[in-house]
Amino acid sequence: MPPKVIARSSGADPAALRKRSARIVQALSDLGTTHVVGVPDNLTRYLYEMFDADHHVQVVPVCREGEAWAIASGLWVGGRQPVVVIQNTGFFESGDSLRGTAIEMGVPLIALMDYRGYGSLGKPDADSAASFFEPILNAWGFRYLFLEDSKEAQILKTALDKAFELNQPVAVLMR
Amino acid sequence: MMKRQECLETLSLFRPTDGVVVTSMGSAAPWSRISSAPLDFYSVGSAMGHSADFAMGIALAQPNRPVWVFNGDGSMLMCLETLVTICQTPPPNLVLWVLQNDTYEVTGNQPVPGASKFCMTQLARGAGFGNVHELDSADSMKQQLPSILDQTGPIFVNLRIETGEEPAPKLDRPLREHTVEFRKELLKSSN
Repeated sequence: MPPKVIARSSGADPAALRKRSARIVQALSDLGTTHVVGVPDNLTRYLYEMFDADHHVQVVPVCREGEAWAIASGLWVGGRQPVVVIQNTGFFESGDSLRGTAIEMGVPLIALMDYRGYGSLGKPDADSAASFFEPILNAWGFRYLFLEDSKEAQILKTALDKAFELNQPVAVLMR
Repeated sequence: MMKRQECLETLSLFRPTDGVVVTSMGSAAPWSRISSAPLDFYSVGSAMGHSADFAMGIALAQPNRPVWVFNGDGSMLMCLETLVTICQTPPPNLVLWVLQNDTYEVTGNQPVPGASKFCMTQLARGAGFGNVHELDSADSMKQQLPSILDQTGPIFVNLRIETGEEPAPKLDRPLREHTVEFRKELLKSSN
């Protein structure tokens, strides 16, 4: 008997997600974000929709996440302040681009990453996208913070300050 | 087909004085012998083909300044999706030049996948580029580039060059240092 294929759900409440997304959009706008570069997923979709409706920030959709680091690096070199928004799976995919552009060039930016599978950690069927995520961030020396409800503005500002202090991207993980 | 040297020398005749030129892999060292402009950026590692999207970012950030990128065909093949990404958010000031010689020259001229089978200009058209051209001699470049460069971008130009013996390029300083210097120059001249 072949397996049945069912929908994967983040388990997040859409109404709560929209509210949080609105707070993130406001916080990133207040930090001077000019461009949002990346690939949407189920957790970040509202961010993309809200930024799309915001004429002060340009959304740059990419086909694969490796392009996001390169485009964001070019934007920063050109005097803008981009944010990369991707899923942890996209982080894995984009490794050499991240190394060869944003890290090697010393680009300070926030990378907002969806921690897909966070809720499955420690369970027998843990999503490998989650179990590999932090070990790989640590192996790459990639600084990260966790986003917390109602503290979005403070955490994102801390991340951007740290990015400028280190001259490299700093991740903010969304659970 | 033409030699890379005459191709790049011909391009240098048309380079806008306020323009950015991003080079990678096989074009980086030869261009550095031709040009000493402060707005040349040497993306020598190119992170497995990410020079075109990097240049796209600069073009979006600096919409009033021409931005050229010299990509190899091997690099372009590694990131074909970037053709689509550029057309989704099209910078009118971007010119994407692909130098096609059908090999990975800097690693010893191994044939790229699809060598002599794929059509780079068809790929660009299929991705959504409206202004697509192919040139294979310095004479045709001199004749056609004035009208090609008059078009609104993004412009895609495939340049057919002969295989050479270009070694893998290396910067004389860390990429981070080059990036800081380039950014300072770019932003200074943007004011």
